[in-house]
Formats: sequence, C-alpha cells, structure tokens
Amino acid sequence: MLNVYLFGGLAALLVIGNALLRMRGTKRLQLWFNIVVLAALMLSTYMLSGLAGVYFNAISINQFSVFFFFLFTAATLLLNLLAHARSNGYSNFAMLTSFGLVGMYLVAASTSLITIFLGLELMSVPTAFIVLLSRRESLEAATKLFIMASVAIAFLSFAMILVYGSSNTFSLQAAQQNGVMYFALALFIASLGFEASVFPFNVLLPDVYQGSSGYATAMLGGLNKKVGLVALMQVLILIFIAFKLAFVIVAWLAVLTMFYGNLVALAQNNFKRMLAYSSISQAGYILIGIAVANGSGLGASIFQIFAHAFLFIGAMAIVAWLESKDRDDINGLIGLYRENRFAAIALTIFLLSFVGLPFTTGFVGKFLIFLSAVNNNLVWLALLGIVNSIISIFYYAKAITAMYTNKLGSYRLRLDSSTLAVVIVCLAITILIGVYPQPVIQLANAAAGHLFSGATAV
Amino acid sequence: MTPFIILAPLIAAILIIALNKSYKNAKYVAIGASALSLALYPLAGSGVQSTTWFSIGKLSLTLTTSVMPLNALLLQIVLVIGILIMVYSAGFMDLPSEQRRYYTEMLAFEAAMLTFAMAGDFIVLFIAWSFLSLTSYMLIGFWYDREKAIAAARKAITIVFIGDIALLASIVMFQNIFGSLQFSTIISGIASGGNAIVLPAALLFVAVMAKSAQFPLQEWLADAMEGPTPVSAYLHSSTMVKAGVFVTFVLLPLFQAAGMLQAIVIIGAVTVAIAIFAATTENHIKRVLAYSTVEELGLMLIAVASNALLAAVYFFFTQSFYKALLFFSAGGSIKANGSEDLRDVAGLKNNRLLYITTLFGVLSLAGFIPFGGFFANVGLDSAFSTNLIAYALISIVSLTTSFYIFRWLFLQTKKSGGKRGELNHAAMPRSMTYSMAILAFGALASSVVFFTSGLSQAVGGTSAGMNLTLMHAVIETVLVTAGAVAGYAIYRQKKASRLKNVQPERLMHAVYTATIVNAAYTHIAGFVEAIAVAMEYLDIKLNSLFDWFGHVTIRAAGGARRFASGSINAYVALFAIGMLVLVIVMVTA
Repeated sequence: MLNVYLFGGLAALLVIGNALLRMRGTKRLQLWFNIVVLAALMLSTYMLSGLAGVYFNAISINQFSVFFFFLFTAATLLLNLLAHARSNGYSNFAMLTSFGLVGMYLVAASTSLITIFLGLELMSVPTAFIVLLSRRESLEAATKLFIMASVAIAFLSFAMILVYGSSNTFSLQAAQQNGVMYFALALFIASLGFEASVFPFNVLLPDVYQGSSGYATAMLGGLNKKVGLVALMQVLILIFIAFKLAFVIVAWLAVLTMFYGNLVALAQNNFKRMLAYSSISQAGYILIGIAVANGSGLGASIFQIFAHAFLFIGAMAIVAWLESKDRDDINGLIGLYRENRFAAIALTIFLLSFVGLPFTTGFVGKFLIFLSAVNNNLVWLALLGIVNSIISIFYYAKAITAMYTNKLGSYRLRLDSSTLAVVIVCLAITILIGVYPQPVIQLANAAAGHLFSGATAV
Repeated sequence: MTPFIILAPLIAAILIIALNKSYKNAKYVAIGASALSLALYPLAGSGVQSTTWFSIGKLSLTLTTSVMPLNALLLQIVLVIGILIMVYSAGFMDLPSEQRRYYTEMLAFEAAMLTFAMAGDFIVLFIAWSFLSLTSYMLIGFWYDREKAIAAARKAITIVFIGDIALLASIVMFQNIFGSLQFSTIISGIASGGNAIVLPAALLFVAVMAKSAQFPLQEWLADAMEGPTPVSAYLHSSTMVKAGVFVTFVLLPLFQAAGMLQAIVIIGAVTVAIAIFAATTENHIKRVLAYSTVEELGLMLIAVASNALLAAVYFFFTQSFYKALLFFSAGGSIKANGSEDLRDVAGLKNNRLLYITTLFGVLSLAGFIPFGGFFANVGLDSAFSTNLIAYALISIVSLTTSFYIFRWLFLQTKKSGGKRGELNHAAMPRSMTYSMAILAFGALASSVVFFTSGLSQAVGGTSAGMNLTLMHAVIETVLVTAGAVAGYAIYRQKKASRLKNVQPERLMHAVYTATIVNAAYTHIAGFVEAIAVAMEYLDIKLNSLFDWFGHVTIRAAGGARRFASGSINAYVALFAIGMLVLVIVMVTA
C-alpha cells in the first residue's frame, strides 16, 4: 500500500515541481528534476508489481497497468531529453507533459469509462498546446489537432452515455448485446480510433506530425497514439468481447490503416511526413493483434506497442536533429553517412526494424502478430500485413539509400549529447530486446492475460 | 564449437571497426579470421543442435543449427572460397581509405553465409537470409559515390527484401501447419500438411527466386556487378545466390509434396533461356559472368526438380570454384585495362599465369573433359536421357554456353591497344594470381569428387542423375568443342580487335528479353508510385472539395479562416463519414 502512495506522491511531485520550476525558469535544473523524478517513478513502478488490486475505487494496479506505467514513464523521460535539446520552451513542455503523463497513468489503470475519459482529456489538451508551442509555424497543426480531438471527445462522451443508459454502469465490464450497445460500439471505435490513429479517423495526423517540431512528433507517434491504442484495447476487450462484429471491423480497419499509411508514405518526399505515415501503418499492424482478440494476439500487440514506441522515438530523435539543420526532406538525408556515421547507422537500424529485421524488436513484434493471426484462422489478414511490409520496403529503401549516397562538400556533423543519449537508449532497447525478447514477451503476455481474465470473469 | 565458426569473422569485423587508423592491418585481420574459422571447422562435429530463443505460452521458438553432410559441404565451400577471396582482396582492394569498411562488410557477409549454411530450422534460415540481404546490399553499394552503384544496391535490396518477406509469410504458415519450424520435423511430417502446404511452399519458392535471381526476379544480379569484383566473386560462387538453390536441396520433399516441381522446371527453363541470350550479347566483362551464373542456377533448379539431386549438388559444388576463378580473372583484366567493357579489354596473354588459370576456368565452365564442369553437364544430360526434347534443349544450352564463354575469353586476348589501367598485366599482385592458381587447381580437382561416394552420401545415398555413359560424354564433348570453335572463328585474335564497331547485340535484341524484364521492373515500380501519387492527389482533391464547403462556412463565421485553413473540414467530414459507415454497419447487423 505504501508503494502505491509513493507512486502517487511521485506523480504529484512531478506535476507540482514542474509548475513551480517553470516560474523560476531554470531550464537545466528542471531537466534534472524531471530525469530524477521520472527515474524514481520507473523504480516505484517496479515495486508496484506485487501489489495488484483496485485503489481508491478508481486506480487498478495490475500486470497490464504496471507494464504501461513503465513504458509511458520511460518514453516520457526520453522525450524530456529530446525536448530539452530541441525546444526553446522546454519548461512549458515539461509541465504540460507531466499533466499528460498523469492522464496516461489514468488510462492504463482505469476501471471505468470515466477514468479513461479523464485520462484521455488530460493527455490530449496539453498535447495540443505542446504542438502549438513547439514551433512558430505550428499554429495550424495545433488548431487542427484541437478541433479533431474535441470532436472525438464529444463522440466518446456520447458513447459513454449510451453505455450508461444501456447497462446502468460506467465500469469496464462485459455488456449485453443490444442495438444501443452496437451504436455505442461504432462511436467508441470512431472516437478512440482517432486517438489511436486508425484510418479514416486519423487523416489529419500527418499534417500535425509534419507541422509540429520533431520532438513533439516523437511524442505524438511514440507515446500519445500508443495511449489511444491502450484505451481502444481496454474498451473493446472489457466491454465488447462478446461482440464478434467489433473484431471483424477492427480487422478491416487494420487493413485500411496499413494500406493508407504505406501507400501514401510512398509518395512522400518529406522524411518526417513519410515517418508519420509509416507510424500510421504500424498502428495497423498493432490492430491485427487486437482483431485476433485472444491472449496471444493482444500480447503480440502489446509487445509491438512497446517496440514501436522506442523505435519511433529513436528515429524521430535523429529527424528532429536533422530538422534543426533544415534537413527534414528526403534529400536532406543524402550524405548523412559521411557526415555522421553513428546517426546514419542508427537510423538504418530503426528503419530496418520497422520492416522487420531479425535481432531487432521490430522482427519479434511483427512475427508474433502475424503468427497469432495465422494461428487464429486469420491467414488473409496476416498475408495482407505481409503485403504491406513489402510495400513499405520501397520507401524505407529510398530513405536508406539516400543516407549512403555521397554528397559533394560534406563535412562532419556532431550529434548533441541529449539526442545521442536518446538514440543510444532506443538502439540498445531495439537490439537487446530484439536478441533476447523473452522477458518483455512474458510481461506483455501477462498484461494481455490479465486484461483477458478481466473480460471473461464478468 | 559450431558457434565459433560464425563468431570468428563476426568478432573480427567488430575488431576492424575498432582498429581506427591502422587500416593497413585490416586485411591481415580479415585473412586471419577466415583462416581461424576454417581451422575451427573440423571441430564443428555433426548433428543437430537446438536452443530456445523465446517462448510464448506453449509455443517456443528455437534456434537450430544442423551440420549434416549437405551443410558440411556448403560450409567447406564457403570457408575455402572465403579465405581465397580475402587473400585476393588484399591485392585487389588497394584503395587504403576504404579498406576498413570493405573488410568489415565482407566478414559480416561471410558470417551471415556461414550461419545460413548451418541453418537447421526456418528461424535461423530467416535470420541468415535477411542478414545476407543486408550485407550484400552494403557490398553492392560499396562505391556509394557512384550513382549506378547506388541504383543497383537499391534494386537489389528491394527485390531481395520481397523474397525475405515472402519467406517470413511462409514461415508463419508452416508454424501454423506443422507446429514446428525444424526442417527435420517438417519433412518427416510432410504428409500431415495436406493441401495447406501449397501456398507457403509457393511463397518459400518466391524467396528462393529472389535470392537465386530466377525469372522474373533475375535482373538485380546483373546490376549487382557494380560492387567490387571480389564481392561479385564471392556472391556468385559460394554465397548469396547459392543460398536459394541450397534451400531447394534441403527442402526438396516439401516442394515435391506441394506439387511444385513442374513449376520450378518451367521457371528454371525460362531463366536459362533469358540468361544465355543475355550472356551472348553482353559486352560488360562481369555481366557476362553474372548472366552465366543466372543460367547455372536455373540449370541447378531444373536438375533438382527433375529428380537429379546428385547432379545438381555436384554442379553446385564444382561451379563454386570455376566461377570464383573467372571473376578473379575479370578483376585482373579490369585492373590492367581500366575498363569493364569487353571491347576495350585486351592483352590477357601478357601475364602467363593469369591467362592459364583463366583458361582453366573457361574450360571448366564450358564443360571440357576432365574439368568439373564436364561432369556437371554430363550428370545433367543423363538426367534427361529419356526425354528427347529436354535433351535437345540442354544440348543447345551447352553449345551456347561454350560459345559465349569463349567469346568472353577471345575478346580479352586481343593485342592490347594504347589505353592502360592502373596496373599492367605483368605487375599483377601475387596474392591475386596465386589465389587464382589455387582455384584453378580446385576447378580441375573437383572432378575427382565426382568419382567418390562422399557426395552421394551427402544427399542421402541417392545416385540419381549421375550415370556417366560414353555416349553422353561424346555428345557433350562434341557440343562444347563446336561452341568453342564457333567462338574462335568469330572472335579470334585478328578479328577481335576489329570488332569494336560491330554490334552483334543489335541483332540479338529481338530475343534479348532482359531489357523487357528490366522495363517491366520499371513499370511495376512506376505503377506503385502512380498509385501513391493518385492517393496523394485524391487526398488533395478531397480537401479542396471540402475546402470549398468549408470556406463558405468560415466566411460566414469570419475571422477564424486564417487558423483553420480549410482542410480541417475535410478531416472532420471524413471522420463523420467513417463513423456513419460504422453506425450503419452496426445497426444493420
């Protein structure tokens, strides 16, 4: 019990501390404060693992939530480092992210729709401001994001009301199949689909990704959209597990999302935008695991969420660095190998991991997802996923080739220390977990198993 | 000890990166590591070993290495050719600044191929397969300041990765069907698969086609000639392209059960037809050899699929020596002449050792007795002795092969003109000529293996496709001699120097299908890009349509126009449409 208070206390300290430090305006001190508190949070997350149970009638500590506490905290830590290196308004970023992180905790630990709603709100409102403050030209992107988020939230609350009307409860438990619930299901898929970047509810995202600064893009694709997927997963599995149609629809949305992401990525000449579309297609792969709707499928999806979060943040760290030199175009990659070998090799590994190179997390995740689909008679879905992997090779190869193409008059470029740290951590996770994935697979499976036991118990 | 065979080159590769400034030692590290790996080979033992990589619930993913006789054969080839390649490179790669990168990539490539040679299940196979793709991509694009090399590398990685993904798809399905990914388990339980194995087996063959450059995925291999010559030699003799064919050796029962043998023969035959025309008309010194490799791989596949496994394996074995040798020779000519165009290359006879070793390679490739190539060809002939049409076709292939390789040789032996490369023939580094001499010996000595029982044991005791009859031997000899004589008549010394302005390939273009395939590749890539552009266009059009609605509203609202510059309406509208469709689906269900 003490550990739960410790965890909550640290989260509170993070929010209050950031608010206070922002007034002082000491950027460096604030970075160290964030690093220390976030590291402490990760440590206390580890200590939470034995304390399964529901606290304060709202926060559920279990294998599922603890896994995502850890993932979200680690990702936030990396993003803090990135933002510190890239942003002029780091203080704002840190404060807003600390709000967002609490929201993410709420989503991961929610026992009812209310907490999911609160968590998502708490995350998406600061996000819009982070995008807005990230660079001068991002007003348009932020406005679009804000408007769409409002629309999504509006429909989410409508769907919640429908659930309450039908089953007299907001808690996440299996619902009766009736017309109202089917209507609610459609609204849930649409509104949470926006949060999880599912086609066609996500079409504004590339605009936002491109319009905001690199570190904000890393946050959107590497963290926020993952929270959306977690929320979608919880609602679909815990409330709608008996609705077979829901998972058929998710399967088709997975196909649409993958094709949309990959086909449009082919036409991109802006590397950041290309990565944005590629991350949309990755959300499609993750949806395959959800569509399988059993323990192994969900476990695979959770593993892939973990894998892609770090891959995307690592890749975007390099892109943000390039962007600060006005080189986020695909032609900006030309000659990167000559200019900074480490950056070029690291980015190559990230991109190859997106495709599915063995001994990287990308391979393990994709393999688990396709395997779970095939083992559950969704061979067609796995094959379409593989077709998409083939399409994606065309644009990843374009980017990789550019990096190793020579350019006249190239000179050495240095990576700043924060970016270097982020890239090294992401690369280490990608390769170490890729070589020895067993621990993370076990955790992901336990998380999925817990979610499922919750679904069938009711 | 098995892992150490792979680890030796891998650790050396990392060591070379760490060498920093003392690049001069890179070649010694590379040669040493290859030698160490070869020295460790006798300790490899034999049999199958498994370790668990990771497990998910009941399912566990194992890494299985297998050192069965067939694996041992490939291991030996890779190791022996590998060390010769490193020695040759010591003389060939004299550009100091690039040596570290070169040897690192070469050693990583060797490690990947050694892993492949020991693959005992699909997971190890896939790992080795993708790392082969990756390292070969780096090596093909080694001269990354040349635009053509970059384009070739990109083409190679695109085509080869298509094969990788097809392999992944087949693996996932095999796991579902057999519950195991070990080759031995799959082959012994093949009957339980039923019709379900057809699709994964077909996907597996797509991977084979991509790796072994079979029609319609053959063009990357010819373009891959943009890499340094020792890379081509390694790629074509013992690694990479041989991987695909090797998989068909190991998993032959699988393709048999899936009823794919006829399809394999047809694909092999089409590939052979394209390759011999291309090789006959090509003027690039290395591309002739590349097309000849494509042809040989096609023949090997035809042999495997026609129940002549032993002939195919023997062909596989002996081809490694003479093909590496011929590429080495081409490297020497390129260095001496500073050109890769056969019409400019001359003076091969200036270096006696170079000329004689090259002649060994040519005679073996053409199929003259008593070289390895002769026995390989006769083995093939005997497999088809009952089918007259097939026999006639194979005979035409033999004749043409002999013709084009002698054309290749005679064009190089003309008197050298004024143009000179960085080296003259007499000053060829010893490491180059001596490694060629060893290979020339190998090309001759490999014919001895034909008469031993080792090879038939390697393929499980069958001797199918290996009966040497006098008639086949005579026919074969007559054919290849005819080819050689024709080559001599057209391209012999005096005429060869005058051939510069004659372009026989103009004539041949009618049948030169390689260009068609190349065009098709461009069209497919263009098609994919067109789809992408269409998607983008649709995106914009949709936006502007909604913009129009949007602006009307915004104008009415005033002010906010600058903020939401229109397209947001499209997004909200698409969101609404998507949701509406969902609601309709839900309500009707």
